[in-house]
Amino acid sequence: MILTPKILARLVAIVVGGVILQLSFFSQVALFHVSPDLLPVLVISLGLLGGTMTGAVTGFSVGILLDCLLVQPLGGASLVLLATGYLAGLFRERFEIHSALVPPLLCMGLTLFAELGFGAVELMLGTDTAVSGQVVRDLLIKSVFAFVLGWPIYLGLRRALRPALVEEHAVRRPRRPTMLGA
Amino acid sequence: MYRKQVRRRRAVLALLIVGSFVLLTITYGSGSNGLQRGVSTIFSPVQSVADGALKPARDLVNWFDQTFDARGRNSRLQEELRTARRDAVGADAALAENAQLRKLLKLDRSGAIPSGYTPVTGRVIARSPTVWFSDVTIDAGSGQGVEVDDPVVNGDGLVGKVSAVTGGSAQVTLIADHSSAVTAKVVPLAAQGVVRPNVGDPGDLILDFIDSTKHIHKGQAVVTAGWRSQEIESDFPPNIPIGEVARAPIVEQEASQQVHIRPYADLRDLDLVQILTGGSRG
Repeated sequence: MILTPKILARLVAIVVGGVILQLSFFSQVALFHVSPDLLPVLVISLGLLGGTMTGAVTGFSVGILLDCLLVQPLGGASLVLLATGYLAGLFRERFEIHSALVPPLLCMGLTLFAELGFGAVELMLGTDTAVSGQVVRDLLIKSVFAFVLGWPIYLGLRRALRPALVEEHAVRRPRRPTMLGA
Repeated sequence: MYRKQVRRRRAVLALLIVGSFVLLTITYGSGSNGLQRGVSTIFSPVQSVADGALKPARDLVNWFDQTFDARGRNSRLQEELRTARRDAVGADAALAENAQLRKLLKLDRSGAIPSGYTPVTGRVIARSPTVWFSDVTIDAGSGQGVEVDDPVVNGDGLVGKVSAVTGGSAQVTLIADHSSAVTAKVVPLAAQGVVRPNVGDPGDLILDFIDSTKHIHKGQAVVTAGWRSQEIESDFPPNIPIGEVARAPIVEQEASQQVHIRPYADLRDLDLVQILTGGSRG
């Protein structure tokens, strides 16, 4: 990703807007009693577009902002989201995205990874209470929501960050020459 | 060149990971810090505006969820209605018992507040996205007299307590949060215990450490105990309704000294809450 001041401003707006949207909208709506989690999808999409460093840094930033606004211990969400963004970026650097299904499927899988990561951080910090079996159901439904959200968010971000995407320029097809008389 | 780039990437990654662990170690269990208070102060007006602007969209999505839910509940409610009709014969006795319970609890479900507390109304403007934390942010803070550890209720019962405060907003840790523990008693038995969450299922709380000789039954009310010793006392005033006993198998009561409670307040769908400020906590 080519980072210019303009692109950096867009990235900051995306991160801040995403966190505000999550806290003010997605966390407060429920389908099947489960709230969608936009933030892993956002971080995964940025990782898929920009690579490991973009994924890790935006994951860390989203996590810090989230922890600040929710007055939670700083670092927990950052750790999980930076790992999630890094893995998405690693996929982008190792494999080609041939199918339109790849981003949503990755969003689904890595959201499940992120939600399990949040749980692992909690257990690491010492959760001394019972854990309901409903957690598993909630995690699976969140992953399905991530699948649904994955494609539009990936496309939207690709559009917003198009000038900064290296391969977008490299693989862009040359304009077809006009054939006179054809 | 390429190696240098890889090395630099690894260094940044290591820095971020180490940074996360350091922040976690420093801030865990220390409440809110200056950074969080500053960020909250800057963003709470933005969150309030976003909350107001997005309310119609939220209501629409939640309407779908509630409609699906209502369809599922319909058959169960019809069965409950049949049972209720059968029980209507004893309604007078139940009403008398209800009046006694209300008197015992000194509880006015229409919204009376324990004496010595001043209620401050707040609206939920943000909510934690993960199933592991049950926190909400409200648009009332120290500017309105809200302090850390103030109890928070809504029209149905106990919701949680304030865990962090900024000038214009406050963080409320719900009773379904993994860190929550509320001393409570079952009425009219007066069996006491500690209400703890069942992480991931805010509709199911556990009343733990109860006296196994006092058998508790389904449907009995659970209220805050509000105990007080010479130097310390509970954060919650006594007799705030928490919920009703949903499941109380004798085997579980005797073996684990616990029963399951369904909270009166719908912790998944909070909008307006009241913070009980002041009080006699010392």
